[in-house]
Amino acid sequence: MTGIQGDLKSGTPGEKAAEVPQDVDLTAATGAVADVPLEILAQSLGEYLRGWWQKLKSGDSGLLPVLVAMVIVAIAFELLTPENAYLRPSNLVYIFGLSTVYMVLAMGEIAVLLLGELDLSIGAVALMGGTIAYKLVQQPSPNWPWWLAILTSLVCCGVIGGLQGTLVARLRIPAFVVTLAGQLLFTGMLVVILGGADGSLSVSPTDPNQSVFYNLVQGNIDPVVSWAILAVVVVGFGTMMWLRASARRRSGLVAPPASLTAIKIGLMAVVGVVVLIICTVNRGGAFATIEGLPWVIPVVIVLLGLWTVLLQATRFGRYVYAIGGNPEAARRAGVRLPAIRTWCFVLCSATAGFAGILLGSFYYGQYSTNVGDPGQLVLYSVAASVIGGTSLFGGRGKPIHGVLGGLLIGGIAYGVSLMNLGSLSIPLEYILPGGVLLAAVLVDVLSRRGARTGSVVRV
Amino acid sequence: MARIDSDPLTGPMAGTSSSDPAAAAVDLTAAAAVGEVPPEIVAQSMGQYLHVWWQRVRGGESGVLPVVLGLVIVGVGFQIANGNFLSPQNLVNIFEQSSIYILLAMAEIFALLLGEIDLSTGLVMGLGSVVVVELVQPSGAASCALCPHGLAFPAWLAIGVTLLICAGVGLIQGSMVARLKMPSFIVTLGGWLILEGVCIIVLNGQPISLKNVTVPAQVQIYNIFWGYFSPTVSWILLAVVVVILAAWWWFGDASRRRRGLVAPPPSFTAIKIVGVAVAGVVLVGLCNVNRAHFGVIEGLPYIIVIVLAVLFIWTMLLQRTRFGRYVYAIGGNPEAARRAGVSLPSIRTWCFVLAALTAGIAGILFASWQVFLTTNIIKSSNSYVLLAVAAAVIGGTSLFGGRGKTIHGVLGGLIIGGIYNGLLLMGVSSEWVDILIAVVLLAAGTIDVLSRGGTRSRA
Repeated sequence: MTGIQGDLKSGTPGEKAAEVPQDVDLTAATGAVADVPLEILAQSLGEYLRGWWQKLKSGDSGLLPVLVAMVIVAIAFELLTPENAYLRPSNLVYIFGLSTVYMVLAMGEIAVLLLGELDLSIGAVALMGGTIAYKLVQQPSPNWPWWLAILTSLVCCGVIGGLQGTLVARLRIPAFVVTLAGQLLFTGMLVVILGGADGSLSVSPTDPNQSVFYNLVQGNIDPVVSWAILAVVVVGFGTMMWLRASARRRSGLVAPPASLTAIKIGLMAVVGVVVLIICTVNRGGAFATIEGLPWVIPVVIVLLGLWTVLLQATRFGRYVYAIGGNPEAARRAGVRLPAIRTWCFVLCSATAGFAGILLGSFYYGQYSTNVGDPGQLVLYSVAASVIGGTSLFGGRGKPIHGVLGGLLIGGIAYGVSLMNLGSLSIPLEYILPGGVLLAAVLVDVLSRRGARTGSVVRV
Repeated sequence: MARIDSDPLTGPMAGTSSSDPAAAAVDLTAAAAVGEVPPEIVAQSMGQYLHVWWQRVRGGESGVLPVVLGLVIVGVGFQIANGNFLSPQNLVNIFEQSSIYILLAMAEIFALLLGEIDLSTGLVMGLGSVVVVELVQPSGAASCALCPHGLAFPAWLAIGVTLLICAGVGLIQGSMVARLKMPSFIVTLGGWLILEGVCIIVLNGQPISLKNVTVPAQVQIYNIFWGYFSPTVSWILLAVVVVILAAWWWFGDASRRRRGLVAPPPSFTAIKIVGVAVAGVVLVGLCNVNRAHFGVIEGLPYIIVIVLAVLFIWTMLLQRTRFGRYVYAIGGNPEAARRAGVSLPSIRTWCFVLAALTAGIAGILFASWQVFLTTNIIKSSNSYVLLAVAAAVIGGTSLFGGRGKTIHGVLGGLIIGGIYNGLLLMGVSSEWVDILIAVVLLAAGTIDVLSRGGTRSRA
């Protein structure tokens, strides 16, 4: 699908935006087929909105369902929790920390889901990545610098992903079998590295080297600095978007209408300000002051940016979508399937390793086999991807889906634990994500079926 | 492929072989070499049979040969490492411990034959075990949230209700896979998660047990795993089974030969009967050795009879009925099966029901084996899923559907049980056992893919 997007981007420069009849034609065709992003074709805000509505009606609803679901979940839990505590700033920040591991895992999983494959090992790989990194900064030895420990851990996880990816991509063993075996294998190795089933590792929040790990999720940026960072990011990013769009318009390339660019920048600023207001409220209660932007929010945003650029703006990304959409067509177009597939598994596992490091930080710098159940982490991350809007059948999905889906899953999990359900609260932590996963897949299956029959009619 | 197995019985080939045996047989032998027709159908003499069999093995269609070789290697290897491995006591022990893997693998085979997968078998087993124990708690003693007063069911009713509940889980999952066309690994992954929660609800945070000797139902369920026939009864049972099987095979083949239908040579039938008799005598002989440290425990355990009975029934169902032929047809080529008039949704749903039912039987055995159930069973159920898939694939069932037999589950389960038992005898810790099992699963998957690639390239 998005293979077409890439072709259009490189293929349409010759078309002048001034050729009105052709433009109308294109909007009609593509708005309905929903294969070409509207910002490429729409010439005015009205046209853009109309195209967006058409796309929505044809079943390609993008981020809307997950955003609506988040609003519903937020309102429901706000009403259901005792003292209406759900939407307090301290809880919202906690939910973000809790969801981080699911968001990051889901971003990795999405790279594999886009191919139409599945990685069931990322839970175990995440725990392994975290364990390796934590092991390497232990004092007195090996006492590696934090950045080298993170790098080594990511490389180790990448190698693991490379091995699994090779089995999937070159030998074509089904991914779920390879990664199921991987889950068993790496859970075993995790215990070996930890030194027994009840081994544990921890980092100190006061040690200058180890505290980096502790602060990844637990640390906060000073409120004043937070505001400064927000201003720099919004101004920098806004200028970049604005200049790029106007440069495209000047040189006669297709570009979104100016009003749309302005709205996007405004929206970014508003979201940033809201997040910062929430984060700069003192969440420590009467005894301590805890305020400021948690490190983990910029960390996740940077990771999201990296993944988005890789998948949406590079040739590698276009090939990933092409393989997910139709592997045979991609192969005939000259895409080297085994290499791309293997690299997706490598990147997925490396991302999972990073999620594992964040997981330890979420548990206040403690690492043991109890921080997470590998199987449950996988389930949550697959659920987060699919709930976010990524298809299980490949070729459809974006890294942002993982972030939103992960936030939704974390929000549900925390809301349930706030509700004082007594003996039901633990089982519901399993049942709700399972139910949500099935519901999301059902929607995915039905919308895909609708899209397919629709395209048959159209063709 | 295996669908074709049954066709020559009724097809025109059956007639030709009697009118012109030599020519037709030679012709058919060539066809059999391709591995499509079982050699016992076309071979006219013992020599011919062995010849065709050897050709088939060389052609990549090796049947149970690799797994039997694997069993021999496991046996010899561990016997060298620890002299107690092949002692009669330990062999019976291995069979008892393997029985859970064997039943779960038999369950998994129903899904695998379709080209689907059931990742929930482990948790269906877990559900079965907690439900059956919960149902036989005496009134006033139970802890379950759903039945606060204890139901005190008789054993037969508890078992029946448990199996019905498990089959119901299979029905729901199967309907989602077959009618809503949701991918089976996601449906059963979601089922896995939900069932974890359900098991916790049923247990209600308190351990339950079968230890109350004053409740007859608890004693009966306890005896399913731990009970055994007396040595004399064991011999009588063996004699009855061998005589019935021998009469059935011998007279069946003889009548086929009389009517001019293709049938294996008499010498082959005789060898088959003698082989079964010898295997039975060895088995009962081993079981009749006293295996208690103190006192006397000798005789055939019930569990062996139960596993063999399930094996027999499922083999009959898959190899001798129209339902079984349809299952293989769908696994081989769903589209072809659909065009031939097979109702895919109902067959698929039934396979998931039968898989869950078999997992429910495993659950009852598991409860009887463990005696004492806590929420720890969830953790062990999680790893049992992997072992079930591993056992089925190691046994020779293909991951791609259409190839596999119930006996593969028995052989694969014995290998897994043997490896577990051997490594634990050697004092290896359980995480290394997990690692080794994962490697074995990967190896089995690789062999499956490579052998499948071999057959395809010839076609």
